[in-house]
Amino acid sequence: MNIPRTDVLAPKGSKVLLMGNEAIARGALEAGICFASAYPGTPSTEIVETLATVAKDAGIYVEWSTNEKVAFEAAYAAAISHVKSLTAMKHVGVNVAADILMSAGYAGTNAGFVIVSADDPGQHSSQNEQDNRWYGLLSHIPVVEPSSPREAYMLIKEAYKLSEKYKQPVIFRSTTRISHTRQSILLEEDIPVEKTCKGKFERTIERWVLIPAHGKKLKKRMMTVWKNIMENEGHPPFVEIINPGNKKVIIADGIAYAHVAEALELMDKKNEYTIVKINLPVPLPYKPIVEALKDAEKALVVEELDPVIETQVKKILFENGVSVELHGKDLVPENGELDLDIVYRSISKFDIGTESVPWKPLEPLRLEPPIPPRPPVMCPGCPHRNSFYIVKVAANKARLKSPIFTGDIGCYTLGYQKPFETQMTSFEMGGSIGVAHGLSKVMDEPVVAVIGDSTFYHAGIPPSINIVYNKGKSMVLILDNYYTAMTGHQPHPGTGTTAMGEETYRVPMEDVMKSIGYETYVINPMNVKESINKVVEAFEKYKEGKPVAIVSRMKCALQALRDARRKGIKLPVYTILKDKCTGCMVCVNLLACPAIVVPKGAKKPVIIHDLCAGCGLCAQVCPFNAIVLKEKGDPNWLEAWY
Amino acid sequence: MARRYNIVLAGVGGQGLLTLGRVLGNAAILAGEDVTIAETHGLSQRGGSLIVQVRIGKGESPMIPKGAADLLIGLEALETARQIIYANQSTRIVMNKFLWPPPLADYPDIDNIINEIRSRNIRLYLVDANKISEEIVGTIISANMAILGYAYAVDEGLQEKISYEHLEKALEKIFKGKVLELNKKVLRKGYEEGLKHK
Repeated sequence: MNIPRTDVLAPKGSKVLLMGNEAIARGALEAGICFASAYPGTPSTEIVETLATVAKDAGIYVEWSTNEKVAFEAAYAAAISHVKSLTAMKHVGVNVAADILMSAGYAGTNAGFVIVSADDPGQHSSQNEQDNRWYGLLSHIPVVEPSSPREAYMLIKEAYKLSEKYKQPVIFRSTTRISHTRQSILLEEDIPVEKTCKGKFERTIERWVLIPAHGKKLKKRMMTVWKNIMENEGHPPFVEIINPGNKKVIIADGIAYAHVAEALELMDKKNEYTIVKINLPVPLPYKPIVEALKDAEKALVVEELDPVIETQVKKILFENGVSVELHGKDLVPENGELDLDIVYRSISKFDIGTESVPWKPLEPLRLEPPIPPRPPVMCPGCPHRNSFYIVKVAANKARLKSPIFTGDIGCYTLGYQKPFETQMTSFEMGGSIGVAHGLSKVMDEPVVAVIGDSTFYHAGIPPSINIVYNKGKSMVLILDNYYTAMTGHQPHPGTGTTAMGEETYRVPMEDVMKSIGYETYVINPMNVKESINKVVEAFEKYKEGKPVAIVSRMKCALQALRDARRKGIKLPVYTILKDKCTGCMVCVNLLACPAIVVPKGAKKPVIIHDLCAGCGLCAQVCPFNAIVLKEKGDPNWLEAWY
Repeated sequence: MARRYNIVLAGVGGQGLLTLGRVLGNAAILAGEDVTIAETHGLSQRGGSLIVQVRIGKGESPMIPKGAADLLIGLEALETARQIIYANQSTRIVMNKFLWPPPLADYPDIDNIINEIRSRNIRLYLVDANKISEEIVGTIISANMAILGYAYAVDEGLQEKISYEHLEKALEKIFKGKVLELNKKVLRKGYEEGLKHK
């Protein structure tokens, strides 16, 4: 991702176009953080990526940690030592960090500590759309939620104030549409030059050692904080009653508020409604809710995903003896993300009992054949394509009978698609290896766990040890493309650089696997034949009952193309010779490369030369040698790839 | 409050839609307009269907209702056809004459798509943005700027919000040196093509 460095560092008074995640980073810098750590994950990545990009200018420390739990621990340690800090993760990343999250709720913090949870309603890039506002209720950590990128910039600073006021961590909940929307933002303050970067650890053992006796005392503190927030924080910027005194009330938090405001504007009904705008959904301060609803006739809670606010509002109404016709999830969907259209319909149902919208979409086009779906695909030159092809051919050659491929989280998850189908499960980070082990204990078929490099460092090591320790029979295939590629090529422990661009130690995964006890093979998947032979050898070892690991190493094609461009290296380009091509479609059907297309009505495929990355896989696969170099690369073209 | 001006950018991940959105966004700021740009990142960027939603004018909700687009810019024919649900009878559609079939799929012919859109009696403009980019840059990498120049020339709604100079200044915020000069040239060529077909 191309972070606009100068915009993020622009002086007070500048108007800049920032993505929500960049706005959060800028706001945190203004709040005076000196420490940030994260594991990348869509839609959270650009927060810490932005901080890393400007770390040296801003005088702060930033790292990509190996996983969310480690990132949380590091940032939390800074905060309990009086250094303001931030950690950011995607919603499911909080699951990985949930253990320490719960403890942090008990022990609290000294300096401001904010955990950004970037949720993904609508599952644009995730295995689920869990609503992390629940984590606030579970951990007794307050949740602050903005309604726009602009507000994210302002509210992250308020989140730090709240954290310091109550000495409690704060969850700052963003969503895809906040994190990945750009908006013009007027910068209110400069980034402070003076900030606390040197910590001080107080050996208050009764606070940091959560044995039961200490935990019981800490819980009392936590519950007092919790009740105080509910009692005292029902004011702007956390809760705001807009246009008070109306009989009809809408309660909305986060981005739902933005949709509500525009819908009422378009309906020309702004004056008929009182809106309770919530930026602190958990714990919900009760006073403004009672205030807005005590004389109301009916109310609608508009919130994305689960009824987190609705549930709390019902409790507040019950406890305060307020009676009002309350609607929420009966009119607003709980699946998927909200948008202006959906919210407009919900409000009009609430208002007049029928759904109606002022826009009239064109009917979808009637085409034959219909427009095919276009799911994401592996890029031209993607090394995963080579690896999957090699492993499947090798499995055939080694007579591995109907192997099962368990999968994981990364671009390579796309291997679930035809023609590969080398991802048959994908649950969570690191899951491929643990699941492979369990399967191998209850099945006779060979099981291959397929995991990416960054995912391996994240959560792949403990289950790899488990296989060897428990005499499992599954193999591990690690796809090393040098980076955490899916989220935008962040460095990881195998890359050799840090988030701040410094050179560092490499932790080669083959060394890790060897030390655990695996017979470890390293292949270069650009050399197809040689790799097939090596993988066959590995499969033979597996049949002898040895623990086997394979590392397939070739740079992510997107990065290879970028490096080639940067270094001025010309890469080769392939073409299909019409007279030699028999139209057998082997290249098309076995590789599914987006650069190889069959023009409408044609019987033979062609290569879109602008898209060809020059990996040469198709040329190695073509049974008729009909795919040849169109243009030779520079003599050193391989330097871009390794 | 004046209604927001809604632009849907449709195409395939990797075609430069995010950059196109950023150029429009920066141009809007330079023109003193408020703007939101809803992007898509992560896995869906990898050669999948991509849509970017640009809304110019005061307001916070970043997503355009289906049927509420004022302008639909399509960098690829199948994706333009797919996102036609964002258009209404008075939407302007500017489409790149380029069809990029997804792997292993059957698909309709580009002429069928054009005829089907035309049969709806909506304003459809066709531009060979890939060719404009190739002629100036040598590759199709700047097709996004070519189609932007073209769309700007034919869309009065956009002209009312931002000036051509704002577009050029916005390019300066994103590109530097030789790349900037090339992109400016491509934008200009697209614009001149558009003026011919206004």
